[in-house]
Amino acid sequence: MTRGDAEFVEFAGAASARLVHAAFLMTGDHHRAEDAAQTALVRTYASWSRIREGDAYGYARSVLVNHLVDGWRRPIREYPTEDVPEQRGADVADEVTTRRWLVSVLGALSPRERAIVVLRYYFDLAEAKVAEELGVSLGTVKSTSSRALEKLRAAGIRAPETQETCP
Amino acid sequence: MSELKRLRDAMRATERPTALDVAAIMRDGRRLRRRRRMVRTGGATLAAAFVAAAAFTVVDRADPPPAQHHPTPAAVLPTSVAPSDAPPAPVGGVVDTGIRYGAEERVYYFVPVEVPHVPRVRIGLVGGRRLPGGALTADYLVNDVKGNDRSAGFHEIGCDQSDGRLTDPQVPTFGYFVGPAHSIIGTVDGQNMKARLARWSEDPQVVIFWFDPTELAPGVPLDGIVAHDVHNRRL
Repeated sequence: MTRGDAEFVEFAGAASARLVHAAFLMTGDHHRAEDAAQTALVRTYASWSRIREGDAYGYARSVLVNHLVDGWRRPIREYPTEDVPEQRGADVADEVTTRRWLVSVLGALSPRERAIVVLRYYFDLAEAKVAEELGVSLGTVKSTSSRALEKLRAAGIRAPETQETCP
Repeated sequence: MSELKRLRDAMRATERPTALDVAAIMRDGRRLRRRRRMVRTGGATLAAAFVAAAAFTVVDRADPPPAQHHPTPAAVLPTSVAPSDAPPAPVGGVVDTGIRYGAEERVYYFVPVEVPHVPRVRIGLVGGRRLPGGALTADYLVNDVKGNDRSAGFHEIGCDQSDGRLTDPQVPTFGYFVGPAHSIIGTVDGQNMKARLARWSEDPQVVIFWFDPTELAPGVPLDGIVAHDVHNRRL
């Protein structure tokens, strides 16, 4: 394995979970999220020699988000149900509830609004950086972000109600 | 606790450990890299092939012979899947858009593609330019990566977000729709933009569309797109 490949393997191991989760937040579908993260990493690897010295994570994130924002135009694969986490027993009910709540409130947003919310509040990017990654103006990010937050408040951005477990 | 902090916390609390197949990612990445190289080579070959075809037309019309062609390196974005072996040659007519860059004109045309394990995708749509000598460039190729390239509705849409790094000038947003579309409207930030349409010479059900770059800047993602028939019914 070349040094560049070894670096990519390390990079992919470190970046996968966040990329998949970001994609899940944007799609509400874990299978689709994995597909999207995989696609982003394939494209990142294809350009690895050019980007490895720079912001490779930013490149992968940008590819992922733009791929998903465009993705609504493609045929969407349907999956029957959201799969249940396999581990961390005691927290599973809370986590499932929180994931459902997140999918529900984020589902009220358009693809681009969701992308901006995820970039701003999951990746903690500044508005100017969000504009750069999405290839839109700063004004578009500000107005879309504001509109998204209004929708989130209307959709119930308050904390999810914890699901009662059996006594 | 503020609402945004709750949202942030919820986003982070629901992260899961994930293990993607890195070996498969690297294998597909290598394949994509090879395809990109092939398309760059294929673009130049396509330019030569087109000039040869144009020469026959010119002889029939007794026009002056075409000027020497000027093949330019083609670029392809990661969204594309390139043909694997044969160099791309236009399938059917080349659509002139009237969008000019000096002496060059933006054109769209289909080329044959082969997508591994997707046998019913056989064509891809290229955004290219017609050079002063008549040669074509292949600047941006999009094609389906699953399903059937003639299924009803919208197919892959070319949104050139290279920001001038790979294509110069950037390719206006384009794509094709299969069905009796009479108008196609794209939306960005609540503003509607009407696409220009042209039917494909090989199949009148295939409607090639593109957006005027003065109305929709290349690279700006659409929020939505709809097609209507001649009776203004949504398709």
